[in-house]
Amino acid sequence: MVWGDLGGTKLADAYMPSNSCSFARSCFNAALRGDFDYLDAYVESNSCDNRGKTYDMYVNYSRIPNVYLINTPHSNTERAHQFFHQEVLRFKEWLEHTFKREVSDESLRNAVEVYNQNRTLLKKIYDLKMKKPPLISGAEFLELSLSSLVMPKEEHNGLLKQFVSQVEHRSDFPKEGVRLLVVGSVMDNTELVRLIESVGGSVVADDWCTGSRYFWNLVDSNGDPLKAIARRYLDKVPSSFMYQREQRFSHVAELAKRFKVEAAIVFVIKYCDTHMFDAPFLRDDLKAMGLPVLYLEWEHSMSGFAGLKTRIEAFIEMVGGIKQ
Amino acid sequence: MSAVDRRLKSMSGFYKNYVKRFYEEAHRAKAEKRPVAWVASTFPVEALQAMDVVPVWPENYASVCAARQVSVELCERAEREGFSRDLCSYSRCVLGSMFGYEKELPEGGLPKPDFLVTTTCACDTHLKWFQVASRLYKAPLFLLDVPYNVGGGDSARLDKAHVEYYVSQLEELFAFLEKQTDTKLDMDRFRETLALSGRTSNLWTEIQDCRKTVPSPMDARDAFSAVFFMLCMPGSQIAVDFYTQLRDELRERARNKIGVVEDERFRLVWDNLPLWYNLRVFEYLNSLGAVVVAEVFSRTWTGSLDPSSPFESLARKYLPNMANSTIQRRIDIISSLVKDFHVNGVILPTNWGCRMMSIGETIVRDVVYKKLGVQSLVLEVDPSDWRVAGDAQVRERLATFLETLKG
Repeated sequence: MVWGDLGGTKLADAYMPSNSCSFARSCFNAALRGDFDYLDAYVESNSCDNRGKTYDMYVNYSRIPNVYLINTPHSNTERAHQFFHQEVLRFKEWLEHTFKREVSDESLRNAVEVYNQNRTLLKKIYDLKMKKPPLISGAEFLELSLSSLVMPKEEHNGLLKQFVSQVEHRSDFPKEGVRLLVVGSVMDNTELVRLIESVGGSVVADDWCTGSRYFWNLVDSNGDPLKAIARRYLDKVPSSFMYQREQRFSHVAELAKRFKVEAAIVFVIKYCDTHMFDAPFLRDDLKAMGLPVLYLEWEHSMSGFAGLKTRIEAFIEMVGGIKQ
Repeated sequence: MSAVDRRLKSMSGFYKNYVKRFYEEAHRAKAEKRPVAWVASTFPVEALQAMDVVPVWPENYASVCAARQVSVELCERAEREGFSRDLCSYSRCVLGSMFGYEKELPEGGLPKPDFLVTTTCACDTHLKWFQVASRLYKAPLFLLDVPYNVGGGDSARLDKAHVEYYVSQLEELFAFLEKQTDTKLDMDRFRETLALSGRTSNLWTEIQDCRKTVPSPMDARDAFSAVFFMLCMPGSQIAVDFYTQLRDELRERARNKIGVVEDERFRLVWDNLPLWYNLRVFEYLNSLGAVVVAEVFSRTWTGSLDPSSPFESLARKYLPNMANSTIQRRIDIISSLVKDFHVNGVILPTNWGCRMMSIGETIVRDVVYKKLGVQSLVLEVDPSDWRVAGDAQVRERLATFLETLKG
């Protein structure tokens, strides 16, 4: 998975306008810097406008030899499923053709099993945050889920199993602060969670595509593996670019309940349209559940860190004050 | 020598005669309990016309509000409800009008929809904005999910799987419309609507062709007004009648070499949208001897329709819209406009709240220059939120660009 960093987007700013997604710009900045020169291919999706349009940037300006776009439906009707299955099949064929190797059903079944195991383990550990106090901090957990995205899965599964066997007996479990749910698009670093947890918060639940949305749903291991893989993408806990908005909102509300959160932070990385559109009503729905909500729109680079810290600190103090 | 009247007679009173009436008709339909639907741009509106559903275009309404200088106040209204200032100003403007506005809204505001139809064809915003409206008005929302035109091809070079997926959803769309309106689709009526829409589109292309003449008889200001029919009611006799009249007038102007300006020194292509709140920018360009002779917007809405294959026709008309395509499509359109319309400069206005209109303009600029030796200006603006760029700043950048074109 291609990530950005917190070092600013000076190189990318020459090509991408300042009103484009600051996460996409950060990733593209890394590409221009040469961080991804070792890659044979870059695969993009049109899940949002920022990404669809950034595809052109990689085609025109990056040094990665193969750039591919998977067409991603924005709904999960049966017709959308049929279309997406064909699209994923096409991608498989492209991989086979480009890299001159076969992707067999058997290897797909094996991958499904390994990935499902990974997601199951992550979910099991995530659920430890339901406990009061949580057995694992939000920052620790995000490190686990992020590392899952960049490591060989089998190896990661081994490490997770080891973690599970040890965590129940840990004596250094984190201090419980104000129990928080953080909702957002993508989070490719632990900066924000560390900040929140350094000023009296505990991120016990998240709705990030690199967090709980990544492992919440499993691939159906029966039947045609490719079809099942494709199906999961459209049926899983929806991101904000999908038609199933009410399902998304109720899932977030359910997270808040199950993890007994006391407040929520809706954190939108600038300039993410789909999350910005969802924010006001999502905020209303969470408030209707009696939860205080802090809404933040911030650059991916976390520029203006001191200001961010002040706002989060004040919010947590306010919630903590109510709690006492 | 007596002064030549360079204004087009056909365009006189356009807003009052057509746009204003369009909104009056929508309000009347609502009062008479005829079905009214909100429709997103790049949605196949012909389907609604064929089912006698009155289409209401929130996007067009935003441009009306901008022209009437109330868009920023309405945007601020939506911002107070928590909608980010970085969102599409069209959507903020319309949402603002829905949240209650202390003054009188232009054209009495938008009638509440019985249902909404949207598509991902142009952008994410159309889905998200309509979801918000759907929740506010408790009205059902239909989504036409459109695959991204990755190859960037025109209507003849589309991915077959994309066309098939689109067509299969048109079947779902009609099922939805039949349920909402409690009427059956009449195929003859549908074919008739498509035939009218096809004629409208052909006439519009003929209108554009007149602008290839040096000097050009029509400017962007009139084009951005007249394109209204292409977007909001293409499958209608009124569109055909109006465009016939406009085409005839333009042909005569072209024959007599009566241009928008007397001394035409610069011929420009304009990408994306105009500054609706400040259409005088085009007159300012005229004062410097520059005329916008073609818009990407005017080109991208055209599409021939074959009534004998109505579903596929609609798919092929809307799928290759530049909004739904990789940058190659935009480059191809601009390159052909530059060549066919004898253009010597390209204006690439971005749109603060729109990723689709903002990301990739650097590629267009670079490729068009490399291929055709024609320079472009990337202009950071917004079509209806004038807080993004001041008039003086815009004028100065345009004037400087024209200076560089002089070489």
